[in-house]
Amino acid sequence: MRRKTGLGTKKELDLELNLTPFIDLLSTMVCFLLITAVWIEIGTVEVKQSNGTEAPAEKKESYDLDLVFKDPTALRLNLKKNGKQYKAIDVKSESSEGMLAQLNEAITTQVLKIKDKTVEIATATVTPRSSVNYGQLISTLDVLRKNQIVNIGVLTAKGQ
Amino acid sequence: MILNHSLVASDAFEKHLVNRRRKMSWGMKAAGFTLMLTSMVDMFSMLVVFLLQTFSSSPEILILKGVELPNSITAAEVKEAPVLAISKDGNLYLDQKLVGMTKDVMTKPEELLKKLNGIKHNWAQSHTNPFSGEINLQADKEIESTTVSMVMAILTSSQFQSIQLAVMGR
Repeated sequence: MRRKTGLGTKKELDLELNLTPFIDLLSTMVCFLLITAVWIEIGTVEVKQSNGTEAPAEKKESYDLDLVFKDPTALRLNLKKNGKQYKAIDVKSESSEGMLAQLNEAITTQVLKIKDKTVEIATATVTPRSSVNYGQLISTLDVLRKNQIVNIGVLTAKGQ
Repeated sequence: MILNHSLVASDAFEKHLVNRRRKMSWGMKAAGFTLMLTSMVDMFSMLVVFLLQTFSSSPEILILKGVELPNSITAAEVKEAPVLAISKDGNLYLDQKLVGMTKDVMTKPEELLKKLNGIKHNWAQSHTNPFSGEINLQADKEIESTTVSMVMAILTSSQFQSIQLAVMGR
């Protein structure tokens, strides 16, 4: 027997969304994400102690940079070309913040640009002093990294 | 739940009393409340979206209590590796376990080297690829930079050449 179309029980057109499981799921997710959330952002500054190994071998002219701390407000930059001393720049200021600003300027204008040519620094080494604290060493590494000098090593300065 | 005040007044006086009560209760708030589910779901959804955006899948390292890390503007992502920490009071910890005073370790690094060799040995047993030489170094920002460089020299001598200095990202 065929059933006539249009007859039978009428279904309601309005659909009611059951919000309870939806709210349950959302509250569980909120709780999980709040517990697993990390509010303190920890990062790293990579230091490669195997000095020189990362430098590309096929480069004709490779420049290396040595930063030697004299005290917290003064340091000396030794730019080396193919292992030989090319240029020495003294950076000095009244405060450590001022010294970092001057270091940034010296790297941008005198190290990375030689005779209007942009040079690439293969490796950089930093020689600290006991009067320089670790926080300042990291700030110095920051200045180097900001100027795309990423192959950085920290030398040991025993007794200095 | 809404409190209904409708009463069927039988006579004019009763009607008057009901009307009076109604007029008096106009200023009062309803005793019940309706939970606005739509706005609550909206709020939850926004919270979930915000928390999912800030969700970090990168590995996290424990910071040793009392160590104030220096700030950095060029901080990279943390890599999973053993953690060597130098506290402000001069103690040296490897994976949260005390090794000794830093100045003693610098003069006699045998114990630290032994523990580092143990880490390398465990790595060789659980990995097929060669040893990466990665280690996380945490140090208080106030300690002498030469102390850190000396510890780094010990690490380098033990084939830990890729040292990740832990910093606070800005």
